[in-house]
Amino acid sequence: MNCKQAESLVAAYADGEVDALRNYSMNRHLQGCAGCAAKHRSVLSLRARIRAEVPYFVASPALQARVRATIGAVQASVPPRPRPTGDRWRWLSGGVLAGCTASVFAWMLGTTVLAWHANEDFAVAAVATHVRATLGDHLIEVASSDRHTVKPWLSARLDYSPPVQDLASEGFPLIGGRLDYLERRPVATLVYRYHTHTIDVFVRPETSRAPMPELRTVRGFNVAHASGPSMDWLAVSDAEPAVLSSFVQRLAREDVSQ
Amino acid sequence: MSYSAPAEIIPVGIGPPESGLGRKAWSKDLSDHTRFEELVLPHLDAAYNLARWLTRDVNDAEDVVQDACVRALKYVGSLNDGGARAWFLTIVRHAFYDWCKRNRPAEIARDDGTAIDMAVDPAAVDPEQALLRSAESKALADAVAALPLAFREVLILREMEELSYKEIARIAEIPIGTVMSRLARARGLLQRSPLLHAAN
Repeated sequence: MNCKQAESLVAAYADGEVDALRNYSMNRHLQGCAGCAAKHRSVLSLRARIRAEVPYFVASPALQARVRATIGAVQASVPPRPRPTGDRWRWLSGGVLAGCTASVFAWMLGTTVLAWHANEDFAVAAVATHVRATLGDHLIEVASSDRHTVKPWLSARLDYSPPVQDLASEGFPLIGGRLDYLERRPVATLVYRYHTHTIDVFVRPETSRAPMPELRTVRGFNVAHASGPSMDWLAVSDAEPAVLSSFVQRLAREDVSQ
Repeated sequence: MSYSAPAEIIPVGIGPPESGLGRKAWSKDLSDHTRFEELVLPHLDAAYNLARWLTRDVNDAEDVVQDACVRALKYVGSLNDGGARAWFLTIVRHAFYDWCKRNRPAEIARDDGTAIDMAVDPAAVDPEQALLRSAESKALADAVAALPLAFREVLILREMEELSYKEIARIAEIPIGTVMSRLARARGLLQRSPLLHAAN
């Protein structure tokens, strides 16, 4: 491509209006020809200046309102035209709408059921873990009634730090803690005593699931749940349901400033 | 190279006819009002910007846009979904030329596309904008406003609306070759504008 041809094309090239073949030739020519490259640059720099310096005026809210008002008035004065083919499309649009609604509903139902299942699974797994721990001698990995011993031990092994309280004064002495593995992630378990009962409390960072029932029974064990400001609390024990429930709610207040 | 403003709009959908064929039948059922709100109203800013640069006046631009909207509503039934902006801008341009014939007949007569007189048109200087911009950046805006109408419109459509040569040719009802020559002329005039060089 020579300069004469390039000159006639340089503006269209800058506007992105030349075909691929000539685009390629122009590209090569501009790399070698300072004069034509300068012409190309001047188109681009003018464009950049126009975009930066020449205001793009936008319609004022008053104009928008005025247009809407006029359109409404004009529309009202025009009698509606007959639409012979309208019904078919109205039915179709109704069908589409119904389909969309049904899909959304099915999706919501599905996610709710899945979340409920996940919660159910977690409760079942927690009970299984509790049974295994109380049967063997795996109940406690860090034996201490001192929350300042249990908490750092757990924090060192987890990516979160569960609030630890000793509620001996209320009849629930802390006897230790351990690490469990539930739902493919490590979970802090606090072990409390209530009279002759052992209470396992599973503490997880707050999870965004469907709400869990506060109290239920799984294989004869009571499972009580409560949500705290930062953690999710699940207590498993053979202690009385009412006691367990109020105990886990007491823990979930996460009032560690005692 | 002269042209005249057509008296009546010929409502043809601009843009590839194959675009949105499936939606076309669907859209038939919508009322004109709904179609207008969906397809045309999103381009109100583009319409106002074009009208504003053609009339160079806030109130006149609003009148032109208002008129264009009434016309667009009338013909919106024939609009294919593709290319609504170019279609609407065509109508804005028609509305402007009709307005211009009534209010500033001299401008059309003077701007027959051969005028290269770059004397500053006092109507091009907007005191409200002058306060908002620095002297240097205002110079380029003034130079654009002072371009003869035929050059100004292709420049606005190309550099501000980023429309293709083909779309500009349809809107301005001129051949693509004329789009290119007017654009080149507009750019040349801006680059050599005494307004710009006075500021530098």
